[in-house]
This record gives sequence, structure tokens and C-alpha cells, in this order.
Amino acid sequence: MAEAAVARETLFALRETIARLEGRPIPALAAAAHEKLAATPATRGAGLATSLPELPVLATGVEDLDVAMQGGLPLDALTEIRSLGLRDAGAASGFTLALAAQVGAQAAGADAAAISPILWIGDTVATMEAGLPYAIGLRDFGLEPTTFLQASPRKLEEALWLAEAALGSAAFAVVILEVRGNPSRFGLTESRRLALRAKAAGRPLFLLRQGGEEEASSALFRFSVEPAPAQARPLPDGSVLGGSIGHPAFRLTLEKSRNPAPLSITLEWNAHDRRFAPVSDVQHPAFPGEHAAYSGADLSASADRPHRAQALGAVVAFDRQA
Amino acid sequence: MIGLKPGQGVAEARAICPTLDVVEEDPMADRKLLEAIADWCDRYTPLVAIDGKDGLFLDITGCAHLFGGEQALLEDVLIRISRLGLDVRGAISSAPGLSWAVARFDDSRVVPPEAMEEALAPLPVASLRLGEETIAALQKMGLKQTGDLLAAPRAPLARRFGAQLLLRLDQAVGLVEEPISPRRPVAQLSVERRLAEPVQAEADLLELARQLADTLKPGLEARGIGGRSFELLLFRVDGAVFRIAAGASQPLREPKRIAGLFTERFTAIHDDLDVGYGFEIVRLNVLQHAAFDATQGDFVGEGRQDSSLAAFVDRVAARLGPDCLQGFELRQSHIPERAARPVPAMNVLVASRRTGSDHAGHGFFRGERPLRLFRTPELVETVAAEVPDGPPRQFRWRRIMHRVSRAEGPERLSAEWWLEEKEEPARDYFQIEDEEGHRFWLFRKGLYGRGGTAPDWYMHGVFA
Repeated sequence: MAEAAVARETLFALRETIARLEGRPIPALAAAAHEKLAATPATRGAGLATSLPELPVLATGVEDLDVAMQGGLPLDALTEIRSLGLRDAGAASGFTLALAAQVGAQAAGADAAAISPILWIGDTVATMEAGLPYAIGLRDFGLEPTTFLQASPRKLEEALWLAEAALGSAAFAVVILEVRGNPSRFGLTESRRLALRAKAAGRPLFLLRQGGEEEASSALFRFSVEPAPAQARPLPDGSVLGGSIGHPAFRLTLEKSRNPAPLSITLEWNAHDRRFAPVSDVQHPAFPGEHAAYSGADLSASADRPHRAQALGAVVAFDRQA
Repeated sequence: MIGLKPGQGVAEARAICPTLDVVEEDPMADRKLLEAIADWCDRYTPLVAIDGKDGLFLDITGCAHLFGGEQALLEDVLIRISRLGLDVRGAISSAPGLSWAVARFDDSRVVPPEAMEEALAPLPVASLRLGEETIAALQKMGLKQTGDLLAAPRAPLARRFGAQLLLRLDQAVGLVEEPISPRRPVAQLSVERRLAEPVQAEADLLELARQLADTLKPGLEARGIGGRSFELLLFRVDGAVFRIAAGASQPLREPKRIAGLFTERFTAIHDDLDVGYGFEIVRLNVLQHAAFDATQGDFVGEGRQDSSLAAFVDRVAARLGPDCLQGFELRQSHIPERAARPVPAMNVLVASRRTGSDHAGHGFFRGERPLRLFRTPELVETVAAEVPDGPPRQFRWRRIMHRVSRAEGPERLSAEWWLEEKEEPARDYFQIEDEEGHRFWLFRKGLYGRGGTAPDWYMHGVFA
């Protein structure tokens, strides 16, 4: 009997260690929960994480996403948000800032007096390509511009130092670090360092990678964001206003998580309620009054084969015309 | 010795001394050297003024006893500067004019206040800092020495040579107060350490800065102030002086925070600070101060977040410059780029404390604004646009063709004619979504049908 108890204790200790390594909710935090957890490991899912106050998470309010992230976005870790190209920078910035607004709303709900500022560490080239955060637009988007600080470091080293110092000071509700592409000076070591710093400070760090490849990093979750056509604006009578552009929508892929299969979902951001809402992926219907983007006739699809044999590989340069 | 003197021609000088090394005059370099020496003289007094091309005034009121009296101070200055390889003369007296005269036309010495006229009397009239014409006229009259002027009746002198002569005379004997104009504002508070052994290590310098800040604290407390802007002066043993300034977003008293500012500054200027053989004097100045609201530490730790934000802002400003971290200042303007202006975060913190969070009224009805705005609008090439005031059907931006699927607008924003000198055309803004779901903020500058050319389209921002 005693042996069994010792063995079980060892098992729990090991589980705890593994959970800690993986940054998951520690299964045996409460001693009383030991038996229950061991008996029903299936509950160690969505419901549990929110019930443990030790692990702050941000529930996005979208059930599929929250389940995939086991309760929500961890608020003491590094989360990576990636756009495929710099022209998707608007969508990726939007999704990141929407998450930041949700964090702010959640914090304000807990304590209305303390509105923590948000720090945006911009990348020089990305700023040139996609512009600076705009105060009035931020307000429209559900953020408070007076508590929004933006940093424009000249070098990546400075940006990393800024992110680390900002996390260490614990003065910011969210720190957003924008990098462009996959710089070699920002590798696994640096991301591990930032992740540990975020963990120690208990503050979220959003790494906004503009136009970057998938890369091994210490982020617990990695999203890739693409823009999606917005829904039309709803009218009071339940119909929608044809040709209008409603809430911004994102096509989101949870590329890295504990689930092996990537999750794709399209969300729209309601800036007034500061909530995400899932959008069904069907294309929005065309309205009669809405003018088509391109009125000319589309080329008909080729009937049985492409017009010429496809060359192997990507076309790098065309042949020079004689 | 051999007959060379200032103002001589090169040919004459070469005739006297054929091996003479002739160097072209470089006033800028001379000036720089003089300023460096003036910096160096900061060790004696904060009030150092540059006089002409080759002189310095030091106001040593209340400083002499720190160096063992006036005689000792003068000797110290002269010995140290001559060790730097310079020919130097100096004098101490109760009037700047007399010191000037004695230093240039007599031996280097201290003139006691009761012997001022005796000291001045045997000097030539040129020692009175007068114009060349006046000096020539005086000499023509046979008034060669200052003593002749002192003895002469004043009224005819004033009539003949103007008030300037008498003013200079009175200044030289101390009858008229003559202010000197110091090069730098005097620090509100200043503490310094003179070191027996020069220090070189950065850590030692920072520790010294912390100790100096410790010494500073009672002074700040007694005045009920805290420092907003600090300056650390490092006097190198070979005479070079470094000034390292650091600002704070809120008044500081805490020695650790003050030293922390310099920790970041040292990291930033690491390569520019040539330690050489070490620093012998370290001084900490408070250049700006502000009222300090004493806060009592509480158990909840509510104030901690505020102070940690301020500490972070100060660290960033010290290391990466005050413009690196910016907040927004909202303004009453409907022109998008004028409605929000970036201001250094330091100022934002100060402003928000002063006025609370202000909500600049942007309450007029307007369309949505983009999340990111370009610094300057970028020209786009529109292929087809609905004339006269519709959105484009297609446009090319950065060499990529975008097909517009939906558009909202126009929102017409007229220029602020009460601010602009030249009349700017109104802009029609459109929120545009292309077929891939990118949302842009485009505007057309001007209207169709004015002046023959079609108006240009610009990209001004991107939406989420």
C-alpha cells in the first residue's frame, strides 16, 4: 500500500515537472484535486485552465479557438502572430491590436482605475511599408490612444532590449514587438530569453512577425493571419447593407499549438464590444446593387489543359525577347 | 627673448629667426582649445566666462577657501595649466577689469582690495580695454599710464574721450560692478568628489555617481524638490572634460534611480567615452528641478505601476534618446495627419499628470480611421475610377494591381484654410476593400474637371 502511494507520488511529481516544462496548468496544484485529476484526466482541457487562477489566460470568446488553446491565450508568455507578406501587415497588426484591446478590456473589467499602457515596438522597414499606428484609428479600433506608447528603435538589438526592459518593468499590459521577416539575430536563443522574461514578469508579449516564414521559436502559440473580406454592415431590420464594409475580418490559422492539426478559422473583430465573432467561411453573397469589382468578362477556364506545359519550379525570370 | 612679438609680419620674424615654423592661424581651433580650457576650469568655479580670443574670467566668489586661499588657488591654476603645455598668466582681484589689466601687463599675482589703485596706476592705458583710437589719442596727449588718468579731473576726460573711458576706469578700480557672462547656467545643486587616484572602470564611475546622488538627496529634500535633468561631469587627468546629461520624466530624488539613468547613458555612449588615464574629479549637477510630491509607500502597491512606467521611460530615453519612445497628443483637427501628433513619452507622462487624461473632442461625424497611417501619402495609379466622385475600380500600388470589390465613401475633408498659406484641394477619402480582403484608405486630391488634368489618388493608410 505504502509502496503504491510512493509510486503514485513519484508519478505526480513527474507529471508536474512535465507540465511545468510545457507551461501547461500544473495538474496537482491543489492537493485536494489530486485524486479527481488522476481519476478523470479528460477534464484537463478547456474548463480546467480557466478555473485555476494561477495561470492567467485571455479567453478570446471564440469557442473553437479557446478549446484549441486550452482555455485561452496565456497572458504570461510569448505569442507569435505572423503575416505572410508585408502587404498583410494591416491584418496582422489588426489582429494583434485586437488581442491587446481584449487584454485591456479584461484588465479594466477587473480594476477600472488601473488602465495599463500598451507598448508597440515598431520595425523600421515595416513602418515604412505599412505606416505608423494611428491614434484616431486605434480609438476606433477599441484601444485608448492616451495609454498607447510606440517605440521606434533603429536596430533589432535595441528593439529586443526594449522588449525585455518593458517586460521586466511590468508597467505594460501588453508589449507588442514587431519584426520583419526572419532576422538571423533574432533566433531561438533570443525568443527563449523573451519568453522566459515574459513568464517571470507575468505579462504577455506578442511577437508580430511581418512577412516571415515559420520558424522554431519559444512561442507557445503561433497564428498566421491573412485578411478576409469583411461582412457587410448589418441593418436594424436584420438585413445587411449591400456594398458596405463591416467589421474587419481575419483568416486565422493556429499554426503552432499543442494540437497537432492546425486550426483555421475566420474571425471578425467588433471594436465596440471588443469581441471576436466567428464568421462562416462562405463568400458573402453579391448584392444586386453592389457593383462588381471588375465588370469586364472573366476569361473562361481552359477546357482540358493549360495553354502550355508548366515548367518545373517557380519562374524566376522570363526569357529575353529577341 | 629674441625679439618676436604678436602682430609682427612673417618676413620680419623670419629675418630674426630663419628656422621659424610658420603655421596658418586657425581661429576655430583656438576657440575650441579655449572652450576646452574653460571646461577644465569648471573645477574651480561654475562661473567661467570666455573673454575675447585668449582670456577666461573665473568668478571665484566663495570658492577660494576650497583651494586654500586665493594665492594657493592662483598658483594651482597657473601650475596646472602650464603643465598642460600652455603659457599662462593670471591675476586675482576684486574687479574683473583690474584682473584683466594685471594679468596682461604685470606679473601674475593677487591684488588685495585695498591696493587696487596702486596696482592699476603703473600700468599702461592699454590695460583699460579701450578702443585703439582712444588709446592712441590718450598717448598723444601724454597720458601714458593709468595713474595719469586717475589723477586727472574727470569732467574734461569725459568730454574729450567719452563715457566709455571713465566707465572702464571705474570698473578697473571696482567703483562700478561689472558682471561676467558665464558660459553655462549655474546648476541648482551640485556635488563633486575629488579622487586621490584616477578611476577608469565604468562600474566605479557609476558607484561614484550613486554616492554623489546620495549626497545630493538631503539638499533636494531640504528644498522640497526633485531633479528633472542631471549632468555628470567627468574631469579626465589630462584636462579633457566630459559632460553626460540624462533627463527624467518625473522629479527624482532616489539615488538608485539617478544612478540608473547614468547606467543607461553609459551603455549608450560607451564607445564615445574615452577613459584615457582615468578621471580625477566627478561632479553631479542638477540642471532642472521640479517640486517633488512626497509619496508614502502603501501596502497595496498601486503607485508602483506608475513609477515603474516612469522608470522605464527614463531608461529608454537615457539609452536610446528621448525621441525613441513616443505617445500621442490628440488635437482638434479633421486633417488626419494633424489630428494626432507623436510626442516624446516623457512629455506625455508629465502632461497626463498635469491635466488628467484629456479627451480631445473628435466628436464630429466622421468615417472610420485606419489603424496604420503612412507618414506621407503614397501616390497610386488608378486604372479606372468612377467619374466624377466615385471610388476607383482598380488601382496599382507598389506595382501590384488591386481590384476593388467594395468601397465606402467619399468622405470629403477640406483643407484648413485658416492655417494654410496656399490653398490645398479638398480630399475625398474612400475606405476600400480589394478582392483579397485588404482594406485601404485612399483619397483623391481635388476634383475632376478642374484644370484639365485628372486628380491624383493617394494611399494614406491601411485598415485592419
